[in-house]
Parts: sequence; structure tokens; C-alpha cells
Amino acid sequence: MGVKNHAVATRRLLGQAPGCYDLRPISMADFTGDDMSCDRCKKPATVHIKEISGGSVRELHLCEQCAASQGMVAQKHATFFESVNALIVGPHAEELQNLRCPDCGMTWREFKDLGLLGCVRDYEIFAVQLGPWIQTAQAGGTHHSGKTPNARQRNGPDYGRQKADIARMKVELARAVSDEDYRQAAELRDKIKAIEEKIS
Amino acid sequence: MLTLENMPDHLCQWLACNGPRHDVVVSSRVRLARNLMAFPFMTKASDVQRDQIQSTLRRQLLGIPAANGQLYVEMAATSDIDRQMLMERHLISRQLASADGSKGVFISDDETLSVMVNEEDHLRIQSIQPGLQIQSCWLHADKIDDQLEANLDFAFSDKLGYLTACPTNIGTGLRVSVMMHLPALQLTGKIDQIKQAAKDMRLAIRGLYGEGTEAFGDFYQISNQTTLGRSEQEILEEFSEQVIPRILEAEENARAILVAETPMVLDDRIGRALGVLRNARLLTAEEALFHLSFLRLGVALKRVSGIDLAHVNKLFLLSQTAHLQRTLSKPMDEITRKAARADFLREKLTGGTF
Repeated sequence: MGVKNHAVATRRLLGQAPGCYDLRPISMADFTGDDMSCDRCKKPATVHIKEISGGSVRELHLCEQCAASQGMVAQKHATFFESVNALIVGPHAEELQNLRCPDCGMTWREFKDLGLLGCVRDYEIFAVQLGPWIQTAQAGGTHHSGKTPNARQRNGPDYGRQKADIARMKVELARAVSDEDYRQAAELRDKIKAIEEKIS
Repeated sequence: MLTLENMPDHLCQWLACNGPRHDVVVSSRVRLARNLMAFPFMTKASDVQRDQIQSTLRRQLLGIPAANGQLYVEMAATSDIDRQMLMERHLISRQLASADGSKGVFISDDETLSVMVNEEDHLRIQSIQPGLQIQSCWLHADKIDDQLEANLDFAFSDKLGYLTACPTNIGTGLRVSVMMHLPALQLTGKIDQIKQAAKDMRLAIRGLYGEGTEAFGDFYQISNQTTLGRSEQEILEEFSEQVIPRILEAEENARAILVAETPMVLDDRIGRALGVLRNARLLTAEEALFHLSFLRLGVALKRVSGIDLAHVNKLFLLSQTAHLQRTLSKPMDEITRKAARADFLREKLTGGTF
């Protein structure tokens, strides 16, 4: 099968922020080129979706008809925005709706109902969807240009991240202890100590 | 020292009528939204976490150096009527007054500072002053923020600033809110133009008690809706140099037009208001506010003498349901409340000539 009519998109996790998707069209190098059949009807697959999440890769291969029935339209040489849009209106719309923060359990769907987020990390987890939402709500404002907490000025820009990491690891530590996973607990304890020493 | 018990007799500083432009601007308010980094936002905080947040913040708040005594009120231990009283005094929001769970408010002795704990955000620092004093409110709130931040880690990101439960508050977390008395704009039918202009400038115009409340007594709260992308000073300056002066000027012009072109209509309204307030035997809160608004206009325009604005402001507050009930210290049904309100206003308005 030749490489044609491929609307391909990858959802790649950002290294620093699990769950935070960076949307980009897959390049031909990402595509194996092997003949594939549709996951649903076994006709030749021409639409390929690759999702890398938490170290595991999930691939979806569909023929044009099945892709269309899923709301995903195959287009030749999909541009960046087309592939992004395909993701948002396509079958992944459902997945984005159910995207869940591992810290507080908030989903995007729940946020849209409540209008309120569940924790600080939601701003990373839902960064892709929140970006345009914030820009609209804030009349185009995208970056903070006001007061900065004094502790942050004293301790540098990583201070907040480090404090948040500690808070998160302390929760994990409590969980590890209650699960009697002492190896994990010891690892976490050492990590917390190391960061605390660095910022104190 | 301020307590919930003596609060009804205590005159809120922000009603004092000694602030700049108090004839039109009742009060200025600056609010800062802050959250503790170590806890989830309220939507996802467990009961235990809410208790931890409240006890941490309560301790920090009571540790703020202040000249006089100060009060921390836990909502769970507060009666409905006292909650409503705090709301009528603008010390807490409707949300804090109505919701259950671990919530509270810190109030300074002069009632110019109130800090809500576990409202929509962990902390809502609020400074309120009489008249047009936006900068002074900011300085106060900013100082309290600094003092708290010395011992607490607030959720903050370099890109998005202070992180809040609702993304409409991120960045500065700053909401400036000015309460204005605009009876002449209402009377001359120009209030809709102001509302439209405010909307175009992305400002919110709300009623007496904020979100979702009506503009009883021609009181309007004007506040900013965007908090990200501009510095605190830019937001404050837009308010004190552009937004409020323009609305102020419009109200002044409308008042001048009423005096110059239709004095009879104006005096008729004021006279009727005084007539009702001095003679009615049953008054709803809404009706009292309606007439007090014209009385306030009459006093501000010096068409009524022997009554000052501070007195009228006090009547606005004390004739509201919770205050009335607390002052008379007995629970009342609707009819006795209406009667009590009418009696109270009749008694307080014997003076004054028109």
C-alpha cells in the first residue's frame, strides 16, 4: 500500500507534565508504511492515529469509511490545524472530555459543568483545552504581568514547582505507606528530602 | 472589641460617608483570590482538608498584627440570621453565607478588612473603604497578602500568575469593585447606556449584593472581569482614572439635568419617598430601598436638610432583614417584619425638612 491520504496525528505526552498533550501532525518518519487493515472492518487502513501515553503507545488504524463514521475525516497532507481539529472533533473529542487529572480526579467534562477546577495541576493537564478558554475569558490575556510572591522572588522560578512536587510526593508517600510499599516510600522520602534541602 | 453580638450597633467604616465622592460612590473594594499550593481547590478538597485549610488560615489570620481586636467567625457555628447580617454588611458573599462545611471569615475591628476562608478559593482577601479610595484598598489588601505570604505558599505559576479555582480569576486574582448610587441615571433612563458601555469595556455591573442580585435602591457594583495580562496597577488605574470618573460624571450630569430641567419631577419623587418612609405602617425591604434611594438623592442634592448622608446610609443597612431582626432581637414573621421596618424608619426620620 502506498502512502496516500493519510490524516495522521500524534498525541505526545510532554515529558515534564504527564497528561499534558502536545498536538502535532505525525511526520512520515513516524509512520511505518506497512500495509495495514482497518481495525474495525479489515479494509485497507488509510487513517492512522498514534497515541503515546505514560510510556505506552496505542495505535489506531481505520479505513476512510470507518474514520468518517467516527467523525474523523481523512485529508491528504493534513496540516497542523487540520490534524488538531480532527482530534478535537473526532473520536478523541470523547477522550478529551474524559481526560482526568491524576492528582484530583477532575475531568474536562466535569470542569465544563462546574466552571471550577479541582487543583493546581489541572492547569497543566487541561492546558490544551484551557488555553483558548482562558484567552477568551481574559480578553486576550495569556501571561501574568503582576505581583509575584516574595518567596518566589527569593528562591527563583522553580520554587513553586518544587513546592508543588513536594506536596504531591507527600500524598504519594502517605499512599505508599498505607499500601505497605516501603521501597516506594523510601524513594519518595529521599526525593522529598533532596528537594527540601535544595530550596531551604 | 467587635463581636457578632455587638455588630448591629457598630457602624461599618465603609458606610461612614467620609470618603471622597461619597455622594455617588458608596464604597470601594479590592479583592485578592489566593489558594494554598499544598491543597486541592475547594471542588476537590475533602472535609478533612477543608478543616486543615481553615485551621491553618485561621491561625495565620489571627496572627496578623493589627491595632485593635479582630474577629474570626466560623460559619458552621453561626446562625442563619448572623450569616445574613454579615452578608448585608458586605463582609461575606452570598456563597459563603449559604453553603455548609468548613468555612469562615476574618474581620478587622473597623470592618475594612475581611478575609473569607474556603469560599470559591481558599482565601479571598477583601479591603473595603468608604467613597472612592481604590488605591488605599489595594495597599491594604496587598499588605495583608504580603503578611500572609510570609508564612504560606500560595499557588502561583510564572505564566498564569496566582492560580485560582475559576480560570476567570487567574493572574492577579484582583477584583476591583466600586459601589455607586446612580438614581439619576436610572431616573433619566440612561442606565442602560452605562450598562452597555460597561459591557463593551468588559466590566461587570451587578446589584447590591454582587452576582445575580438586583440593583435595589439604585446601587450598582462595577467591577473588572479580566485579571490576566495586565498588572495590578494597570487594572487599578483604569478604574480610578477612567471607568469610575466617567460613570461619576454621567451621574452628576443626570443629576444636574434633573435639577435644571425637571425640578418638579425630582422633588415629587423625593417628597413621595419621605411621605412613604414617614407614614407607612408596613414596608418590604425592597420598597424601603426604593424610597431610601430617592431620599439619599434628595440629601445629596441638598433638597432635604437636617438629615445627613451617613444617617441615610445607616438606614439602608439597618432596615435590612437580618439587621432589623438583630436590632429588635426577636425572630419575626413576614408581617411583623414589615411592620417593624416601617416603625423603625418612621422613628428615625422624624427630623429633616423638605
